[in-house]
Formats: sequence, C-alpha cells, structure tokens
Amino acid sequence: MIETFQERYENRHEYAKQWKDKTGGKVLGYFCTYVPEEICYAAGVLPVRILGSHEPQDVTEPHIFAMYCPFCRDCLAQGLQGRYDYLDGIMIAQSCLHIRQAFTSWDLHVPTDWSYFLPMPHNVQSPRAVPYLVEELKVFKKALEVWTGNTITDDDLKRGIELVNRDRQLMKQVYELRKREEPPLSGLESMYMVVSSQLSDKEDHARLVEEALKELEDRTLGRPIGQRLIILGSEDDDHEFINMVESCGSTFVIDDHCTGTRYFWDEVSLNGGDPLTAIATRYVNRIPCPTKDWPLRTRLPHILGLAKDWDATGAVILQQKFCDPHELDIPAIKSALEEQGLTTLFLELDVTVPIGQFKTRVEAFLEILDEDDLF
Amino acid sequence: MAKYKTAPLKSWQRAKEIRTEYYQNYAVAHEKGGLRWAGGAWTFDAIPAGLGDDVYPITSEPYGATIAFQKDFSDRCLEATERAGYARDLCAYMRNYWGSIILNEYGWVDPGEERKPFPKPDFVWQDHICCSHAKWYQVVSDLEGGIPMYCIDVSVGPYEHTTEHGLEYLVGQMHDGIEWLEKTTGRKYDDEKLIEAVNNTCRSTSAWAKVCALNQAIPAPLEEKTMYSLYVLGTLQKSSKDVADFYEELLAEVQDRVDNQIAAVENEQVRVMTDTQPPWGFLRVFRYMASKYGCVSVGSLYTFALIGNWIWDDEGNFVPRPTPQSQGLVIKDRDQALRVLAEWELSKPEWQHFYHPKYKSDMMIQIAKDWKLDGVMLHYNRGCEGLSLGIAENRLAILDSGFPVMVFEGNMGDEREFDEARTTARIDSFMESLDVPKLN
Amino acid sequence: MITTGIDVGAKNVKVVIQEDGKILGKGSVLAGLDMGAAISEAFDAALKDAGLTRDKIEKIYATGAGRNEVKDADDSYTEVGADAAGAAHLFPDARTVIDVGAEEGRAIRIDDRGKVVDFAINERCAAGAGAFTEAMARALEVPLEELGPLSLTSTKAVAMNAQCAVFGESEVVSLIHQKTEKQDIARAVHDAMATRITSMARRVGVEPPVALIGGVAYNPGFVDSLKRDLEVEVMIPDEPEFISALGAALLAAGMTK
Repeated sequence: MIETFQERYENRHEYAKQWKDKTGGKVLGYFCTYVPEEICYAAGVLPVRILGSHEPQDVTEPHIFAMYCPFCRDCLAQGLQGRYDYLDGIMIAQSCLHIRQAFTSWDLHVPTDWSYFLPMPHNVQSPRAVPYLVEELKVFKKALEVWTGNTITDDDLKRGIELVNRDRQLMKQVYELRKREEPPLSGLESMYMVVSSQLSDKEDHARLVEEALKELEDRTLGRPIGQRLIILGSEDDDHEFINMVESCGSTFVIDDHCTGTRYFWDEVSLNGGDPLTAIATRYVNRIPCPTKDWPLRTRLPHILGLAKDWDATGAVILQQKFCDPHELDIPAIKSALEEQGLTTLFLELDVTVPIGQFKTRVEAFLEILDEDDLF
Repeated sequence: MAKYKTAPLKSWQRAKEIRTEYYQNYAVAHEKGGLRWAGGAWTFDAIPAGLGDDVYPITSEPYGATIAFQKDFSDRCLEATERAGYARDLCAYMRNYWGSIILNEYGWVDPGEERKPFPKPDFVWQDHICCSHAKWYQVVSDLEGGIPMYCIDVSVGPYEHTTEHGLEYLVGQMHDGIEWLEKTTGRKYDDEKLIEAVNNTCRSTSAWAKVCALNQAIPAPLEEKTMYSLYVLGTLQKSSKDVADFYEELLAEVQDRVDNQIAAVENEQVRVMTDTQPPWGFLRVFRYMASKYGCVSVGSLYTFALIGNWIWDDEGNFVPRPTPQSQGLVIKDRDQALRVLAEWELSKPEWQHFYHPKYKSDMMIQIAKDWKLDGVMLHYNRGCEGLSLGIAENRLAILDSGFPVMVFEGNMGDEREFDEARTTARIDSFMESLDVPKLN
Repeated sequence: MITTGIDVGAKNVKVVIQEDGKILGKGSVLAGLDMGAAISEAFDAALKDAGLTRDKIEKIYATGAGRNEVKDADDSYTEVGADAAGAAHLFPDARTVIDVGAEEGRAIRIDDRGKVVDFAINERCAAGAGAFTEAMARALEVPLEELGPLSLTSTKAVAMNAQCAVFGESEVVSLIHQKTEKQDIARAVHDAMATRITSMARRVGVEPPVALIGGVAYNPGFVDSLKRDLEVEVMIPDEPEFISALGAALLAAGMTK
C-alpha cells in the first residue's frame, strides 16, 4: 500500500483532473509551502504544489536568466509545456526570488484565470510579523471569496485547519517510526508520502496515511539499514538521487526539506482563538526556509536536534544549484553538524543530476562513515 | 570636428571628496569615540543617524564595487571567501566584502599609504527585500565574531498596492529598531537628528532623480559612466546633509549643461540605456561605445532609481518624486518621521520588480521613449540575483514595445565571469544591426 | 565586382571570393598560433581555387572573432552581420539563422531584407558548440565524424544533463559504466546540445524557415536532434562553414538587400 504514494506522485495531473471532475471545484497551483492551504480548503479549493519533472527542456531560456535555480526553471517549463492546463488559478507566498520568477513568468505567459501574490513577511522573528500577516490573510481570504463565490466562515476556517492539521499529525507519526533501529520505510518512500500530500486532497491523503500506518507498524525494509542519514537543504524531490544513495548501503531516517519536515512539522494551534491569527502564527513560527531564518539561524538547533533524535551518523546536504538562501546557511550548518560528530557530504542539485559522478562521491562518503564505525 | 562641445563636470571633485571622507570617517570613527555600523545601500541609514553625529556607516554594495575596481585585491578577496566555503554564485559584492573581512584588509586605500586592516563595525543595520539581504549580514556577523544585527523587512508588495498594515509593519520594525539601537549602543536616541536625516533622505533621492531627468536632453549632458560616480554617493549615505546638498548643486550644474548644449559624448549619434550594475572592472566598455560609435548610454533604471525616487504622476508620466517636505510637510515627531521615511522608500522604483517584472518593464519602456533611445543593452549580471530578477521578461517586454535589445552576460564584481572581448564584439554586432556608422 | 570575405574563426580561417553573388573560390586553413600566416595561406588557397591573382580582388572584408588580424581588410563586420548576409543570400526566405561553430553558437533573427532584428550568442560555455561534440566523441572513443551517423542508429532517448561540458563528460563516462549503448549515448550528446541551441534560439524567437550554418551542420546526428527539438525543418547549405565568409564578401560588394 506504501506504493500508493509513489503512484500519486507520478500521476499528479490525472489525480487533480479527476478531483476536479468529481467535485466541480477549483484547483489552485501553488509555488511555495508558505501558501496557507488551510484557507484554500476553507474556500473549497484544492491547493496542489507545482513541481518540476526532472527532464531537460528548452522552453524557459527566454524567460528566466540561467543563474536562477534549476527548480524554478523546471517548474515554469511545466506551465509553458501545458502540463498544468487544468489549473484554475496559481499563487505564491513570498519566499525566495528564484521560485517567484517561475510564478511571474507563468502569470505572463500561461493563460490562467486567477493569480495571487501573498506577501508573506520575511522578518518572522519580529513581533510585527503576525499582526501584519493576519491583515494579509484577511485580504487573501476576501480574494478567494470573490474568486470562488463562496463565503468563508470561521467554521470553514476551523474545518480547513483541522483537515490540514490531521494530515500533519499523521505524517509526524510516520516520522516517529523512522526513529526505530529498523525504520519501516525508506527515505524515498517517505519523500513520496510527504510530496503526495502536497499534490492531494488532504482528507484523501490522511486516509491513505492512516492505512499506511497500520502496514508500517510491523513492516521492515527487508534489507540492511546501513548508515543512518539525515538529508537536508533546498527543495528535493529527486527520487533518482535519493534512491541511489539508499541503494549504496544507507537509509535516510530524517530530513529538513520543504518536500519533507519543513512542510508539515508545525501545526496550527487554534485554542479557541481567531482562526486567521492562529494560521498566521503557524506560518510565521514554522520551521523556516533559510530566506526567512534571520537574524538568528533557528534551523541550526532544530537540525541538530533532528539528527540526534533520529540517531543519524551522517548528513547529506543538498541544494538546488544557485540557491542563494541555502548557500548562505550551508557553511554554518556544515560546521555545526561536524562539531556534533556528523560527517557531511555536500552536493548540488540540477534538473537532472549526474548520477554516476554523484555515486562515486556518495560511496566514498559512506566508506568514511563505515570506517568511523570501526573505531 | 566634434558634433557638440563638451566639458568636464565641475562637481566631480566634490563627489570625490565626499566619497573619500566617507571611507576615512568610517575607518577612524573609534579614534574619536564614535561608532561604526555596516548595512546595505538600501538600508534606512537615517535611523542610526539619531544616535549622534559621530556614527559612521559602511554600505556593502558600493564597498564591494570599490574592491572590484582593484582587480588584484578583488581576486584575493573572492578566493578567500571561496576558501571559507561560500558559493561562487553568491552576491559578488558581498564575496568581495567578506573576503576583505577574512583577509582583514580594508578596501579603501588613501593615496600613498599602505593598506590598513578592515575596521570592524560595532553593529549591523540592514533591510531586506532580496532573499539574501539579511542573510548576507548573518555571514558578516559570523565573520566578525558575532556582532549584533538588526534587519528590517520591507517586502510588503508593490507601491501601487501599499496598505496601511504594510506601512505599519515597516514602522513597527523601525520603532523596535530604535529601541534595539539604544540598547545595543547604550546611547540615548535623538529624534531631532532622525527628522533631519529623513528630510535629507527625501531631498537627496529626489534631487538625484531630477538630475537624471535632465538627461532627456539631446545631446545628453551626462553619460552613464560618469553617473555611476555620482549616484554612488546616495548608496553611501543618502541621509547625510553633504550628499543632499551635493545633489542640489549638481542639479544646477547639469541644468547649465543642458542650457548650453554641453554634451557628455561629443559625437553623440546613438542613445542607449543599460540595466543592472555594470561589470565594475570594465567601465572602459562605455568609452569604447562612445569613441567608436558616438554611442551614449544616458543611464538606466538602475542609475536613475537605485537611489533616486520616481513616481508615475496623474498624467501617466514617469517623473522625479517631489518630496513631501517640498509640498509643505513638516515632520514633528519620531513616529511621523518613520512613517514618512517608510512611505517614501516604498515607492523606490528599484523595489517594484521584486514583485513582478511588469512594473520594471513599464518604467524601462517609458524611459526608452522619454529619453529618446535607439536601443537597450541589458547586462545579465551573474553577480546580483536581486537586480537580474525578471530581466529576461523585461527584455521581451521592451522588444515588444519596439526597441531593439542587446544582452550581454557578466558579473558586476567578479571579473572571472566577464569576457570583455566577447562583449565588445557583441556591441559591434548590435551597433551594426542599428545601422550606426563607425566614427573614424 | 570581385570581393573577398575572410572569416577568422576560433578554429579555422575561411576565405570566399565571389563575383555577383557567385562563389569563385574558397580556402580554409587551420588557425594555428601564427594567425597572419594562416590568413595568407587561406587567402592564397582561395585565389588558387578561383584561378585569380591578388590584384583582381577589389575589396576585402573580414569577419569572425579574429577579424582584426586581417591587416589588408577594407572593413570588417561581426559574425552576426556576416552570417545574416550570407544566409539571406542563399536562402532569401530564411527568417532565423542558426550558426553552430567550433566554440560558439549563435541564433539570429532576420527580416525580409536579411537585416538583423535580434541575436543571441551562447555564453562562455562549450556545451552548445562543436567543441562539445569533440570532447564527447573522445570520451566515447569514437572518431568525431562517426559520432553523427552512430547516433542516427539509436532508437532510445536517454536524458543527459548538459548544463556544462565538464558535467557532460563525466555523464558520458557514467552512462558508459551503466552499459548504455554507444549509439544511445551519441544521441544523448546531440540531444543535449540541440536542447542548448534550441533554448538559445527561442530567446530570439524561432521564426521559420530556419537556416543552419557553421561546421557543426555537417553532423547529421546533431541536425536530426535539432530538427526534433525545434519542431521545424532546417535548411542547410552546401559547405555550411563558409557562409560567414561569403556574407563578408557580399557585404564588401554592397550586395546585400
């Protein structure tokens, strides 16, 4: 049943189209996990994350200068090639400049009825961020109401919050299982589970995760676990790469990716308060993307905690080529991990990765870890 | 026989003096019991001005460009930064700047003197709109042994959609920032000094825009290479009285050049604009264009509006933004000063494309029309993700509006990524395609 | 009017002598360290080919990256201008000209008079030029001239990331290790290069008909990949490496539309 998530990942377009046919609702493509999905669900809209396809393409060159990350170009290519022609709208919540270009070029060149830019604050460590975001969420809610023709009540918002929270809680249970000496799922399977959540109706996804949890209870991978690794960095749904590392004698047991923990780690805590304030608080306080992680680097202690709690011995640090926000954190993260005794391997992702060359480096990295075990 | 008369710019000397004093003052601040701080060219420098008259900034981007001019030193700085583990595609200004911290060598060298150690700032005062702005200074803080930093997020959406809560978000961060400054420096904050610095900010950024507007004249009284040396003062300290006064004096001189048809390029026969920062080590490319083709670059949205403030008026013209003070506003207290400052800076043209390239395309096309251009040269600048943002879409929009566009790739601060020969070859092709006859 | 065009390229010096749009003679010489000698040698070869002596040449125009090395040139044009002139002469309907040479790829959009409307040049990267196929042929241990025909026998598309030639080479090596068939790797190389060229061409807008010139146009594997990518037919002249020199000669004669 665990393969269902991979199928969902691979058939994302068919899934969204079927959802549309079945419900008659609107599908909203979004570009960054700072988009408050709770409010979309409250409006009866299905939010799906726009991701790339990891294929070489030749359509984005006129639109995005080549010094921006391969991920944003890969995403835009999907739009220019018409693969998301079923979308009713697109939106982005302010994060890095790279992915913003995928959004703005899509806005200019891919016919879409509705497009929305949510100026998510960057200074999330300031007490001024939540009040500002609450006001922006009010504007966003209103825009959704006008677009869909549905009034969004507080009850709708609460329903949206519960729905998304439920999926988050379940995913956290899955991640708890990965602490086991014999994790019942691989890093690749886990990636499929998280990313399929970004591509699915949350209720539907939560149901699948509930079923999967039963199966995972006494599942084993049927292979040696090898080195326990943490994988961290920028957007990463490069299944070919993840699979290669795991098939070299290791298992990813935890991650810090927006295609992993950063997406679902934090819940909205309503506590009987105003739903929009609760949502704003969650997005301001969530595990941040590095572009918002300042002046303190709050991700540092968080990552170290994950590595410790999931008992990782090595760290694979990945970034999309040209990803400035991550590049500016990596030296600090690398030295913090190494101080904690973890060996690190740093690699840059492109649309497709040179698997052979990376494999050599991964094998050497795992050898070092294996030798460490001897002493 | 030259087509137009030309003359050197008289204000040049004063511009040079202000820049020299700036870097000297920063270096010796501690000797006089003063303070030093570091921040970006767009930071709200008017706010630390309230800490006293002996508080001196160093802004990273012009400092990085200053290093880029010194190719050997720049090479050493870039290498030092790479050795410390920072990626090669990061902001080229900052890679120069970080390198100078790591090497502990100051990028400013007084004539006839030895290079001095880098003067460590007491705190960081930055703003954030590019997704790296605040991150740059985390690295500065790391490299400087953990100096305290404060950073104001200004990314509340395009100016035409400014909201009360967006403004409040900025002003709130500013108020908190003043408390932070008092706590960090142990000094008492002087609101009168803040008010004066805000008035200077409006004055200098408006006056510089007026100078650039005069370049609509044929022949152009200024060419872009000279403009770089002038606009830079605003990037150093737009809130200083010296800079505001300078731009007003410059305005009078440039008006005089227009009235007397004094050209920047004596054989002006083709007019272009560029965009994004130039490759600083290779400004001779502009001289090549002028001498071989009589081509004058009248500026760019970058030189006009990185610091200069402009606005679309009610008739749809793109004009220097008049200061609220010139329309009778008198700032009375801290809160009002901060609100005026925040509102003023949010209209900065160079902040608009961060939300959508269409804002920048509209401004560029209007400049191409009003400054009577024959073509546009875009620098796809690998050194700056913030200003290269959306540049490919700007290109398409400008082409659509009927202006020819040439693209050249390079880097403002890393000479390893700029190919001078290929760039001049490209200029030749562009000039050929515009049917520009070669001079001589 | 008899004129000469001299194209001083990165790898070869090519000379064309023409009269009234008809090519009288051609010469091509490998550009060595002594550029002046190579230019003279190529010029002499072209004169010999045309059966002419130097004094019969009324005008000489130079083009190419090394055009300033041609000391007796009456004037010079850039490769972009010369490409456009040469291609428009042979293919008056062409609206897009793609030139793929040893170290540079160019895409030029021209109007109905053969005038340059817009152009793009690949940047500081060999992945979109002939040098790339040479390096990949070496990695595959296949003679360069066999790389094209070999790739035509491939029936399977293998994706390859060709952001840069350095990566490209290690990717070819890893494909070899994965026991990918040689012909499929050859096709992957050409596909990657075609993607790169098409990307660049899309920057100026690919308006058909498209003319492909430059030495790499001899490579049938690349041409096949390029056609598939551009989704339009491409016209290739005989001896595509001489078109820039021809263009310069035509410009010298004032024979452009």
